[in-house]
Amino acid sequence: MIILTMIIASVLGAIIGLNAPMISYTYSSYLAIAILAALDTVFGGIASVINKKFDMKIFISGFFGNAILAILLTVLGEKLNVDIYLAAIVVFVWRMFLNLGIVRRYYVEKWSEKIKNRYKDAETKDTKE
Amino acid sequence: MTNKKMISFVLGMMCFALTIGICIQIKTVNNNNSTISQSYEESNLKAEVLKYKEKYDNLLKETEKIDEKLKEKIEKATENNSELEEANNQITQGNKIIGLSEVKGAGVIINISDSEIDANSVLNSNDLLVHDKDILNIVNELKNAGAEAISINEQRLILTTPIICGGNIININGERIGSPFTIKAIGLPETLANLSRPGGYVSTLQERKVQVSLKKSNDITIPKYTGVLNFKYLSNVK
Repeated sequence: MIILTMIIASVLGAIIGLNAPMISYTYSSYLAIAILAALDTVFGGIASVINKKFDMKIFISGFFGNAILAILLTVLGEKLNVDIYLAAIVVFVWRMFLNLGIVRRYYVEKWSEKIKNRYKDAETKDTKE
Repeated sequence: MTNKKMISFVLGMMCFALTIGICIQIKTVNNNNSTISQSYEESNLKAEVLKYKEKYDNLLKETEKIDEKLKEKIEKATENNSELEEANNQITQGNKIIGLSEVKGAGVIINISDSEIDANSVLNSNDLLVHDKDILNIVNELKNAGAEAISINEQRLILTTPIICGGNIININGERIGSPFTIKAIGLPETLANLSRPGGYVSTLQERKVQVSLKKSNDITIPKYTGVLNFKYLSNVK
């Protein structure tokens, strides 16, 4: 059900996004950082749902906190002439891979357990016969 | 169960926002494809140029308003004086001819743009581009065919208008103008349309694979010259 809502929401978002007006090119770098933060939050949310540790407050505060901090860092980097936003990108992508790893491990384990169970069932049937 | 619904709702909202953001970003980046630069300084410069352009447009609008006020004042002043009225008529007539007022009439519209053929596939890629000389030649032919008013990309050609090469753009009236070019000319459309005769300059351009199209129109509006006319060295001979 969660995955289904996510897919429907993504499609709706894509439709609205394609019809939305364009933003100024100056702000597109900030939007890029915000997109990364949102991606990171979504992956984090999926991982925490799988771990059954999902907390609404942490999720929402994490999204806004991460996005605002990343954008502030980008602005600061622009003022100091250092590409600080690269650090934000590295951290976000690293966390994305981490969370993806949790999701992957969960499903792989589930799947291999299923195969093992089927194998066991077949064996027990064999011995009974 | 309500918890699960809540989770799916929040995650769905997040996905929604995420895809909107991604789509807008892709659109923005695609739109600025021509001069992608990651440097903030350059995009700042771009923003500054846009700002100045807006300022310039606002000022232009203001001058237009003032011009209209002046016109009203002149009309009021000359209302009951036949001598002044005649002078006023002479002024409007003169403005029409030297290009200080907007004019309309029948004529032709010529669209010229650089060829879309890959520059590596031909011997001389210079032939594929529209040069200042091409514009000059076309304007010359239009004048020869009796054009009374000509504009290029909304720049009115007047007595002192230069058409100069400026690298990948052309300077007309000091404004930088790039391909595609729209040349409007008011005159007898049938005569002006003779530009596309075999052996004429339009056909020469077409041989070079430059995109040219010429069409007649009964309703062409040509804007006025927006600069200032300065004649310092002229004086009348009695």
